[in-house]
Amino acid sequence: MRTLIYLVLLFLTVYASTASAGFFDKLQKFSNPDSKESKILSGVTQIASSSKEIDYATERNIGESLALEGLQRFGNPVKNETLQIYVNKIGTAVAVNSKRATIPYQFAVLDSPVQNAFAVPGGVIFVSNALVSILDNEAELAAVLAHEIGHVSAKHALKSTQRAQLLQGVGTITAASIKGNKGKQFASAIGDMQAVLFDKGLDKNMEFEADYAAMETTYRTGYDPSAMITVLEKLQKIEASSKDKNGSWFSTHPPLAERIARLRTQLQKYPDYPSMANVKDRFVKQAAAK
Amino acid sequence: MKLTRYVILVLALTLVCTVASAEEKRWVSSEGTTLKSDASASADNVAELAIGSEVSVLESGGRWLKVKTVAGQEGWVYAGRVSDTQPAVEVEGGDGGIFGDTMKSSQINTAKADSARSIRGLSPGAAQYAKDRGTPEMYKKSLDKVLARKVTEKELRMFLKEGRIGEYAVLLGGGK
Repeated sequence: MRTLIYLVLLFLTVYASTASAGFFDKLQKFSNPDSKESKILSGVTQIASSSKEIDYATERNIGESLALEGLQRFGNPVKNETLQIYVNKIGTAVAVNSKRATIPYQFAVLDSPVQNAFAVPGGVIFVSNALVSILDNEAELAAVLAHEIGHVSAKHALKSTQRAQLLQGVGTITAASIKGNKGKQFASAIGDMQAVLFDKGLDKNMEFEADYAAMETTYRTGYDPSAMITVLEKLQKIEASSKDKNGSWFSTHPPLAERIARLRTQLQKYPDYPSMANVKDRFVKQAAAK
Repeated sequence: MKLTRYVILVLALTLVCTVASAEEKRWVSSEGTTLKSDASASADNVAELAIGSEVSVLESGGRWLKVKTVAGQEGWVYAGRVSDTQPAVEVEGGDGGIFGDTMKSSQINTAKADSARSIRGLSPGAAQYAKDRGTPEMYKKSLDKVLARKVTEKELRMFLKEGRIGEYAVLLGGGK
């Protein structure tokens, strides 16, 4: 018995020393500023620390500037105040249970023929009336809004471009400071973020993260979390018959089949989901109101 | 004999650990969370719980949890409003929170006092950006209107109640 213990101890010692040799070897590479490893590490540190250092006022300035661009690109809000208030109530209901419940959020339905929704940093969230029109109930609209809140919570847009990250060093952006060099930097960061949010799309892992956040947030609020899946299934049907995918929720996101498959696995976390609220009647009444 | 003692010691330690973990910790993770005197949204309010505050679970079952606050107050909280991990609370929250009624000394309030602000509602940086880019007035006004819409805590509660959502859901057995 004692021999066996000694043997195990000997094995662990040998294993640990082998592992640490590799570890120290890596550390040495990181300490050399010209090494590939060191450059990667410094980039990672910059990315990891950057979004934390953009303060809320700056985030809001960036977000509202992007919102102005979004309105010009996708269309003005629909002139249906009942619908706008309704969407704000659903959005606020899920936002209070989101991972970032300490900032204000505003929601608006845009008059756009493309099925789309997007969020800008700071908490302004847009959804097109074309997307609202294909939904069947309140839980589905809550899922779309909660997905976008997920992007705001995790500051995905700010993390998505190098220039946005560089804004970390410039301090709070105000009207006075936006002139000159800082202003140029600000405008180019907005330009980059526009390209990501409206054309290229965010990183697919950010989309998966927002999907999971949508499920969790809607569930915590009391909505059926499977609504996120039914929304994506509806979009999948449209995608199959649509020639022009530009600017839609499926052109700027990872493949719908993959998102649906991942969410079906995730749904197992919520075994009581069939008993959660869908609120179809109110949705039909409010979404159809003129 | 030695082995028996060892086994007893391990069992005793396991038991201590089990008892300690029986009182599970949770953290309030939703804005506008209220501690209720019973497991029902219509029960009396015991206390308002701030995001990030810690509670111990005394009894759990279904969608309501009986909890005790650090200050010793006991009551019921809707399970969706607490989390088993501590939420990352922002030091500098925005504009007094979701309902805009806490009015902490946030940076956005300072920013809103900027004298260069051209139109109501838009952040100063965005207003300047719009000016520099020559953004049509129509879009500035549209965004201004979007930013002006607010949902109060009372309106939200009414909305959830009418939709029978979350703590207002009507479930068999009262939702406990």
